[in-house]
Amino acid sequence: MAEDVKPTRKNLMAIEDRIELSERGHDTLEQKRDGLIMEFMDILDQAQDVREDLNANYETAQRKLDMARAMEGDVAVRGAAAALHDHPEITTQSKNIMGVVVPQIESSKVKKSLDERGYGLLGSSARIDEAADAYEELLETIILAAEVETAMKKMLTEIETTKRRVNALEFKLLPDLYENQEYIEQKLEEQEREEIFRMKKIKAKKEEQEAEEREAEAESAVEATVTSD
Amino acid sequence: MSTTGSSNPEYVNARVRARRAALFSDDEYRKLVRMTPSEIARYMEESEYEREINELGSRHSGVDLIEYSLNRNLAKHFNDLLGFSEGRMYDLIARYLRKFDAWNVKTIMRGVYSGADRESIETDLIRAGEFDESFLDRLLEASTIEDVITSLDGTIFGDPLEAALEDFEETDVLVPLENAVDRTFYEELLADLPSSEAIDLYREFLEAEIDFRNARNALRLARSGADIDPAEYFIEGGRLFNARELEGLVQSPDQLVSTIRDSSYGRELSGPLDELEDADSLIAFERALESVLLKYSRRLGNVYPLSICPVVAYILMKEREVENIRAIARGREAGLSEAEIEGELVIL
Repeated sequence: MAEDVKPTRKNLMAIEDRIELSERGHDTLEQKRDGLIMEFMDILDQAQDVREDLNANYETAQRKLDMARAMEGDVAVRGAAAALHDHPEITTQSKNIMGVVVPQIESSKVKKSLDERGYGLLGSSARIDEAADAYEELLETIILAAEVETAMKKMLTEIETTKRRVNALEFKLLPDLYENQEYIEQKLEEQEREEIFRMKKIKAKKEEQEAEEREAEAESAVEATVTSD
Repeated sequence: MSTTGSSNPEYVNARVRARRAALFSDDEYRKLVRMTPSEIARYMEESEYEREINELGSRHSGVDLIEYSLNRNLAKHFNDLLGFSEGRMYDLIARYLRKFDAWNVKTIMRGVYSGADRESIETDLIRAGEFDESFLDRLLEASTIEDVITSLDGTIFGDPLEAALEDFEETDVLVPLENAVDRTFYEELLADLPSSEAIDLYREFLEAEIDFRNARNALRLARSGADIDPAEYFIEGGRLFNARELEGLVQSPDQLVSTIRDSSYGRELSGPLDELEDADSLIAFERALESVLLKYSRRLGNVYPLSICPVVAYILMKEREVENIRAIARGREAGLSEAEIEGELVIL
């Protein structure tokens, strides 16, 4: 509230400094928000593609697995899975996109060649190979989707935060500061006008006093002249 | 039973003919394709599979119940075959049914390797081979791969597994052990077969099975691009390839296809081979190989009705019945259409 601020020149200067800083911050945050939105749109396109791939790969993998379970039997598929030695691994690092720290997920041992899956070639079939291939493909897409969608969510949170900050500056802080500045300026001008008025009054009073003194002196001089005559 | 003494092909074949007549017909498959998994289980309860469905009904449900019942019924029939055969007949049947011993050895090794509990390994065994209950129990008690191999000492798998153990210890993957088990099974099939007109034709059938196995593995490798020494997957005993030829053919899939096309199997496989050239998947080709093998065994069975041939034809048909019913049930569970499921079945 403007009335809470003491209308002093010092406060006016402080408010002017804050206005300058807030305006600069507002511009910077606006630029950041626009930049984040542009980056987000790129990631969104990528996320949509990855999500489509994920759905398609899931359908394919599930179908191949169903086929393998149907034709080879659940027991054979489970047995082939149990022979796996090198389980997939993921490592996470982070990268910075316009101040937002997003994960970068690296996977290893996901795609395997026929000799790395652990089950013997002689006692298995192409159905199990194709189900394993499809699931490896699906796992790679899941890892990519996790990376892209996490980045997207973090960007979205950051955009929201930045937008709230921009709005707070634009619609709350800066208007309040402008109001305070205007209030103090008005008060100071008023004080100045009052001061001028007061000075004028004092001056007029002084001049009146001086005139009275001069008049009294003139009268006493006239009286002295009459007495001497 | 024993491998010594006189053989009894007449008796075994009479029993096999009766069992063959009880196999599901095409019409029954068509009925099953329209049913839900629970309806299939119900239908099985009123058929040949009644006992297994009732025995396992309290432990399993849904398609798992169907699959375990099918496996148990298969094991029962094949054990019966071993039970009523004698002499040379027993030996020939046992050799073929050792594929289930190989399956059980691999299942136990995979279970031990992955740290599965005894009960879940036991559930996945198919007790249709030569190993009896007490021997399988001894294998199930093993806590390490080395213990499993030690327990197999004295069986056909003992020495080859011992030889492959070093590779396993180096790489810590089961591939060398599993390949040793499967290769031993195939090589033992042909070892010291006696000579007679029927057995010679049976040998041709086994050679075809080995050729098909080598061909499909070579095609899988050619498509996957994996760099594996042919010695690791090649099975000796076939007519179509030797290890060196196959190594070259894996590098050139077109050459591999034309070698199969030019072989004695070319005429029957020409359709699937044409499709294979444009297809991304090997599955249809594998199905065609299974179908050709099944037809081959049936033909042999008709040519020599009092030999091992009708018995092997029955074994393949029974396995096919189990696979077809399982495919229908799993297919229905996964929501596949009737046409899709029918496309996956191998029906003669």
